[in-house]
Amino acid sequence: MRIRTLTRPDGSAAAPEAKDTAAVRPQHTPARRSSRPSRRFRPNGGPGRFALFAAPGLLAYLALVLVPIGMTAGYSLTNKNPFNPPTRWVGLSNLTSLFSDDDFLKALQNTVVITVIVTLVTNAGGLAIALLLDRRGWLYNALRSVFFVPVVLSAVVVSVIWQAILVDDGLLNSMLRQLGVSHPPGWLSDPSLALYTVSWVIAWQGLGFCVVIYLAGLQGIPQELHEAAAIDGCGPLMRFRHVTWPMLAPAVTINTVMSLIGGFKAYDQIQVLTNGGPGPGTTSTLAFQVIQTAFNGNHVGYASAMAVAMLILVATVSVIALGWLQKREVSA
Amino acid sequence: MMRNPILTRTAALAGALLLAGCTAGSSGTSASKGDGDKVTLTFLTFETPNLDAKYWDAAIDRASAKVPGVTIKKLVSPSADRTGYAKQLDSTGQFPDVMIGLNPAGFAEAGKLSPWTDKELATYGNPRANTYDGKVYQLPYAAQTTLVYYNKKDFAAAGIDTPPQTYRELLDDSAKLKKKGINPFVVGGGGKDSWADMFPLICTVATDVYKKTPDWLSQRAKGKVKFTDPAFVAAAQKVAGLADKGYIDRAGLSRSYADTEQAFRDGKGAMYPMGSWFSASADTKKPDFDTGVFAWPTDQGAPALPGVLGGGMTVSSKASDVPLAKKWAKAFMEDQKNLDAAVKADGLIIDIKGYSPPSTMGPVYKKTVAAYRQAQKDDGIVNSFSQETGDGSLPPGLADKAAAGVQNLLGGRMTARQFGAYMDEQWDKATR
Repeated sequence: MRIRTLTRPDGSAAAPEAKDTAAVRPQHTPARRSSRPSRRFRPNGGPGRFALFAAPGLLAYLALVLVPIGMTAGYSLTNKNPFNPPTRWVGLSNLTSLFSDDDFLKALQNTVVITVIVTLVTNAGGLAIALLLDRRGWLYNALRSVFFVPVVLSAVVVSVIWQAILVDDGLLNSMLRQLGVSHPPGWLSDPSLALYTVSWVIAWQGLGFCVVIYLAGLQGIPQELHEAAAIDGCGPLMRFRHVTWPMLAPAVTINTVMSLIGGFKAYDQIQVLTNGGPGPGTTSTLAFQVIQTAFNGNHVGYASAMAVAMLILVATVSVIALGWLQKREVSA
Repeated sequence: MMRNPILTRTAALAGALLLAGCTAGSSGTSASKGDGDKVTLTFLTFETPNLDAKYWDAAIDRASAKVPGVTIKKLVSPSADRTGYAKQLDSTGQFPDVMIGLNPAGFAEAGKLSPWTDKELATYGNPRANTYDGKVYQLPYAAQTTLVYYNKKDFAAAGIDTPPQTYRELLDDSAKLKKKGINPFVVGGGGKDSWADMFPLICTVATDVYKKTPDWLSQRAKGKVKFTDPAFVAAAQKVAGLADKGYIDRAGLSRSYADTEQAFRDGKGAMYPMGSWFSASADTKKPDFDTGVFAWPTDQGAPALPGVLGGGMTVSSKASDVPLAKKWAKAFMEDQKNLDAAVKADGLIIDIKGYSPPSTMGPVYKKTVAAYRQAQKDDGIVNSFSQETGDGSLPPGLADKAAAGVQNLLGGRMTARQFGAYMDEQWDKATR
């Protein structure tokens, strides 16, 4: 954003605020040099110092992320099965088999559906709630906390709570029966509904994060822009379209990318709410399929190939989405 | 906000890598020898409403008191699927030293378990119940069976005097119950408890398949029979038929195991096909009706009761002190108080020589044991589909696939023939 200048009644531009402040600084103020950070903490202390600070993080990243990924990539090229040694090299056959594996393709399809729903619901819902909560007062502060609570709860806890609500004779259907619905939907037992139900639970949990990011974005928009737009005759919708929405572009980028990643990694809720069912693979996701294949079916090599395919997919989608959204930020 | 596109893209890629990163394990054992010959052993167990933390802690303390020098570190499986959890622990180099109720299939053949000797098995009633290539890897200390528990009040309301003796009578009784507005069968299996939907099929496979061909699953492994053969399809058809007629409450299929048990207690159905462990619960937390027991009937009335004998301790071949681990496992398994506690909490039918259950056991447990003993006498015990152990058992992972298929079978989304084809396809995948 450009540096704003204030306009005096006579039309001349005021000096930047920083200079005004300097002008009134007492003459006996100590020299600025004394307030500088000491040499010891200077960020440009040379490559040795940079390496010293970065080493712990890099080592942890190397050991906990890069090495396991490398090992997974290695396993994906084998028929590794801990209960059926010896492990043999099979090249890319695991990866190519994925394209004709109905279970994997079904899981991929489900993952895409979940990701799209989660991204849309969390962003649209998060923005709407953030707009409602973007005002002062104890009630709004309390509501912000309420909306953030699901984010800090474990996905398993959230799933157990929703399970009690959504099972066929659970809380929701009991209420519907009270209202006269004789055959309420099988939210988790009906294959045509289960995937959407699970998507809703995942989206519900992620909603609070989006609300917080959008609220931060909204509160960072200078009030003067809204006032100027109002003076120019813009109504609330026009102000949203021409001021709020463009200024929220960075928040949209963060929320969209995080929602995409959250959708792709869906596992806990599936495990607790449906175990991939009802029926074979109805709500199975890529992450769920990887775990099932590796630890239930013992096909570690094949599951590793699934994990590698998932990695490539998530990385590609994330980078493309980020690139596209950041272009939008620049143009906004 | 990050304004540098390269930096942000790199961060996104790093996030994606973090997301998709899978841990890989190394071999090793979690047991450790400390000072003064003290040995710490990890013990993998599981918790259910019947077998809670208090039950396990007390049993561990009693066994440890008999084996000086052993300290037990309890590991609790996050779900009833302790076998799946053991695989996860194994793949991360944390395979437990001692495990209870683990399905040894796969672990046994891969040499990850230490076999029990004939001398160590001398006190067991049926020591060679589950062998893998002639070796026993799990202490066969108790039997479990599947029976139909029924609500006597509902049966009386529908004018049914005695439980059904043939499958035809079972259908007739179901029709009478339904006519009275009583849901005939309570069946669950929602979420992670999909295994709980298997019990009607366990019963029909016992009566229609295993009764005539006891080694059917071994024959399937050799390719001599298939799930699409008429016998298996007929068994699956019986289950599908019960659901089609509205005798199995489809709305209950999203219930967890605990909720399914509660649904029967709450009178949401007259019959509850379930493992014999329910008998303990039926006696200790008695519902507001009398609970009866009968064996799922065959077409002609000849007995065919699905049974599993095993469930005891297995010991890792990599435990730092295998003899001591075995000593502790046997001490746990053969302690009178532990056995009594297991019988009271889980309705187990103990198969250790000289053991008698506590005289205070309730009527449902006694009727359960009587049904099992009678079937033993009549040579009517057969394998329990999806729960088999030993050489003739399902390939790893297939029991869960079967449970998922049964959801479709019960929901009317898969015919019996399609279910058989699905099982054949999953078998081929699992053994590929």
